[in-house]
Amino acid sequence: MENPKQKVGKVFLIFAGLCILALPLIVLTALSSEPEEMEASVADTQNMDFDDKGQAVFASYDQISRDYLEGTSTGRTLSEYYSRRQYPGSPPFIPHKVEEPDLAPIECLTCHARGGWTAELKKNTPITPHPEQEACRQCHITVTEAQLFVETDWMSVAPPRLGRTSLPGAPPPIPHELQMRGDCVACHVGPGTVAAIRVEHPSRGNCRQCHVPESNAPLFERKPKS
Amino acid sequence: MPVFSYLAYPVSGSKEQLLNDLAALDFCEVTPAENQAVLILVTDTPDEETEKKLQEKLKALKSLESLGMTFGHTDE
Amino acid sequence: MDFTRRDFIKSAALQSAVTTAAVLFPGISFGAWKNADSGAIEWKKTPCRFCGTGCGLLVGVSGDRAVAVKGDPNCTVNKGLCCVKGYHSVQILYGKDRVNKALVRKNGKLVETPLKEALDLVASKMQETIKSHGKDAVAMYGSGQWSITDGYVSSKLFKGCIGTNNLEANARLCMASAVTGFLTTFGLDEPMGCYDDLDHADVFITWGNNMAEMHPVLFSRMLANRKSKNNVTIIDLATRTTRTSQAADKSIIFNPQTDLAVANAICYEIIRNDWVNWDFVNKHVSFHKGKTNIGYGTQDHFKFKDKAETVDWETYKAFLADYTPEKVEKISGVPAKDIKYLAALFGDPDKKVVSYWCMGMNQHTRGTWINNLVYNCHLLVGKISQPGNGPFSLTGQPSACGTVREVGTLTHKLPHGVVMKEGARKMAAKIWDVPVENIDPKPTYHTVEMFRALDRGDIRFMWIQVTNPMVTMPNLNRYRNGAEKDGRFLVVSEIYPTPTYDVADVVLPSALWIEREGFFGNSERRTQHNDQIVPMPGDCMSNTWQIIEVARRMGFEKQFPWSEETYIEDIWNEYIQFHDTPKHRMAPYKELKANSGLQWPFVNGLETKWRYHAKYDPAAEGEDFDFYGKPDRRAWIWLRPYEPAAESPDSEYPLWLNTGRILEHWHTGSMTRRVPVLHRAAPEAYVEINPDDATRMGINSGNKVKVSSRRGSVIMKASINGRGRPPRGMVFVPFFDESYLINEVTLDAFCPISKQPDYKKCAVKLEKV
Repeated sequence: MENPKQKVGKVFLIFAGLCILALPLIVLTALSSEPEEMEASVADTQNMDFDDKGQAVFASYDQISRDYLEGTSTGRTLSEYYSRRQYPGSPPFIPHKVEEPDLAPIECLTCHARGGWTAELKKNTPITPHPEQEACRQCHITVTEAQLFVETDWMSVAPPRLGRTSLPGAPPPIPHELQMRGDCVACHVGPGTVAAIRVEHPSRGNCRQCHVPESNAPLFERKPKS
Repeated sequence: MPVFSYLAYPVSGSKEQLLNDLAALDFCEVTPAENQAVLILVTDTPDEETEKKLQEKLKALKSLESLGMTFGHTDE
Repeated sequence: MDFTRRDFIKSAALQSAVTTAAVLFPGISFGAWKNADSGAIEWKKTPCRFCGTGCGLLVGVSGDRAVAVKGDPNCTVNKGLCCVKGYHSVQILYGKDRVNKALVRKNGKLVETPLKEALDLVASKMQETIKSHGKDAVAMYGSGQWSITDGYVSSKLFKGCIGTNNLEANARLCMASAVTGFLTTFGLDEPMGCYDDLDHADVFITWGNNMAEMHPVLFSRMLANRKSKNNVTIIDLATRTTRTSQAADKSIIFNPQTDLAVANAICYEIIRNDWVNWDFVNKHVSFHKGKTNIGYGTQDHFKFKDKAETVDWETYKAFLADYTPEKVEKISGVPAKDIKYLAALFGDPDKKVVSYWCMGMNQHTRGTWINNLVYNCHLLVGKISQPGNGPFSLTGQPSACGTVREVGTLTHKLPHGVVMKEGARKMAAKIWDVPVENIDPKPTYHTVEMFRALDRGDIRFMWIQVTNPMVTMPNLNRYRNGAEKDGRFLVVSEIYPTPTYDVADVVLPSALWIEREGFFGNSERRTQHNDQIVPMPGDCMSNTWQIIEVARRMGFEKQFPWSEETYIEDIWNEYIQFHDTPKHRMAPYKELKANSGLQWPFVNGLETKWRYHAKYDPAAEGEDFDFYGKPDRRAWIWLRPYEPAAESPDSEYPLWLNTGRILEHWHTGSMTRRVPVLHRAAPEAYVEINPDDATRMGINSGNKVKVSSRRGSVIMKASINGRGRPPRGMVFVPFFDESYLINEVTLDAFCPISKQPDYKKCAVKLEKV
């Protein structure tokens, strides 16, 4: 056995210097569009789920308090968000303990339908975009084991890039499927959201007047009849 | 037994190339960000000598713009 | 020790870089998965690979890999929603230990072998066995996960060409009682209703069926109906408290096996209160009595044949006198007021009632009877064959209906009719282009007896496809020992190593469902087609094509003439000739290719949603109901008594053992355990114990306990107040985990009519270890 003091070794962090070094790069990255890299187009046919349930979405938006809309105290990151999914759009697993069997499925919604601070987990609760589905644990399961039964060769496509606007300052299109995720406000507004995808103008409820679904459809081409 | 981690920035437009270059080196583990032109590089070399040689190799990579260290550990 | 420390430092190094990156680049992400070619995703339709619900999926394909799943909004089954297994179903393609080369046992070890050589060996071994031991010494054992074409070519090869009725499928363990229930009551197999009933009914009764976990998508449709209407009642009538009980408006627990008495008591109450729909009963129902004290089939060569005797209303009424709610309360433990409540729901003319059931009623030594008795409840009040009214038997496998029941891959069946009927043999011989004498008029072995025959040596060669009997056979020790005996030759078509693979002499690498073109048929008579969506890995081959290759090697080129490009379509066109009447017409190939499933009878371009009612069913005659499956054109009410289980708890083995599935794992877990998130959610099996029993025995959750019966034992962890809660005196064990083979403990008793084993009831004891 080594001496534990030696084990700790020497750990140092170069952080501040790095930030200064990287600053020009951030600016550069923000300006260059790099269309050939990590192009992750998710959809070729968009489901118009949002429009089907439009009324419900507007109604639930109306019920959200102003304080909640403006809430920004989130600590969630996109990496965390994707680490709970198997591919973009897969149902995430439940990252906290769930009591069985006394907790009926409906009880998930007491927190996840409206959001808010949970003292127990010391976190702001993310809101589900499909509160009409009550059998939550049909798709969302708790994970208790780290080891795999057998290693896997699974791969999926990269998650969508952020900020893919067509011109500087234009509203970015919706880079993901809308099926089961048609209620924009649920994931993009409030203190429970992932910081990187939270909108800065939550008081505007009609999201899809500016943000439209993105698809892989080829550019418009005229096909004259003759 | 030095262990270091870095954020590696590719020369504009050559993220895939940098990914391949770094992956090809011994003692290197590389994780690309999915939605930004940046990679995480973790190096784990058996001794100081090897570490120095690796540093030289990294400096010689054409696809690498810069390296920013985020963590370091050495057994001394 | 040092290794772990080093790993820890490296992970700290990585974490530090991730944190820094997150500060520098808000929104940066390093995905949890490896990235495939980051091209566009293309979505292709397929039915789900797992249960009998038959959800439509859209599989996202990037390059030649399946990378994502979403529910198919065009599929009326699930309307865009899946369960957690469905959403992750494509990950079953990518386990690292995928079988993609043929293996042949040489000097005791499975050795990689060229596929051609392995197929040669299968064919020559089969011919050799037929020569030395006769045609009834070779057998095929398939499954309700077979694509329709897999089952069809097996039937053609075994029944038509080789001439043996040694063809069975694991659906015998899963659906046989449902089939005999349908046949005895209605004369034709498969449900009269469809999933639209989920949107129309006011009362749902789940009979021993944990739909919340086993048929989650249908259950969520039921919940959605309740939410939208306010007056919908869900009643869970079961032997154990489950998620379904929690979501239900009322949970009623009965003692194992006493559902027979409860169903009769409901009928008693309906009659006592004169809630009978007399118009319906007088015009459309007749009454019949069968044999009683019919045995349990635990001995080899067990034989039973029921005999129907027509009786009158008064006889039926007199029979029910033994089943007053008060008497039944004593047998079943269900309070008389709950029985009366259930009867009142059936009896209320303003309420539409649907019953759902699956393994609880089918895996039952009186499985056929309990199916009959639930039909009785619906028939007395005429709540059947209309939107929102009807008994509905759910299936557990994606094509138990499509392949096993419709193609008839059971010893007594042909694609149309039974081998005992000359007309059916003639029809098959004509379509198959074989001499009619080839088709043996005598059925041979049902599944349990087939494995007994393998043990005895009556069967010497068995080809197993798409199923894992070395985990699922009840009283497993006997059947595994039998399979391992000298002079037995086992061919196993598989995708992953399993306990069945472990006893194989030849392993053939199979293509998974979306790696080939095929068809499934779900619980509601819906046939679903999928294209080949991704390429097959290595030497993998569809099960259909494996059988064709072997058949040709055995000299049956004439019967198996198809090309690899069009064989699925060609086989479909040949097969549907068997069902070309308005009672069972199947949709044409091109319609199936274009749609997310179509229901049969498919007549004049239209699906049939409710059978036996002239308003919905083109085969029904007259104004309204027409039960045309029976010669008297009536549905049969059966007088079926309560009889006890084959083995009940006693002083030595004081507990009931119940077995089943859980949400995350499908059947034996050979696929779902290779899906990371599903395995991580449910990594191993456990034994659920009632909290009071556990306290009495001093067992805490997580303690190791030994579950033993007269046949075998398993040591596993206790789960108390976990996913489900058995009543006092019962334990429950899921069967997905090959490390804890609970079927070494179960009993191979079966329903004498359906020959389906009862996995839900045997006597065990618990010991803390």
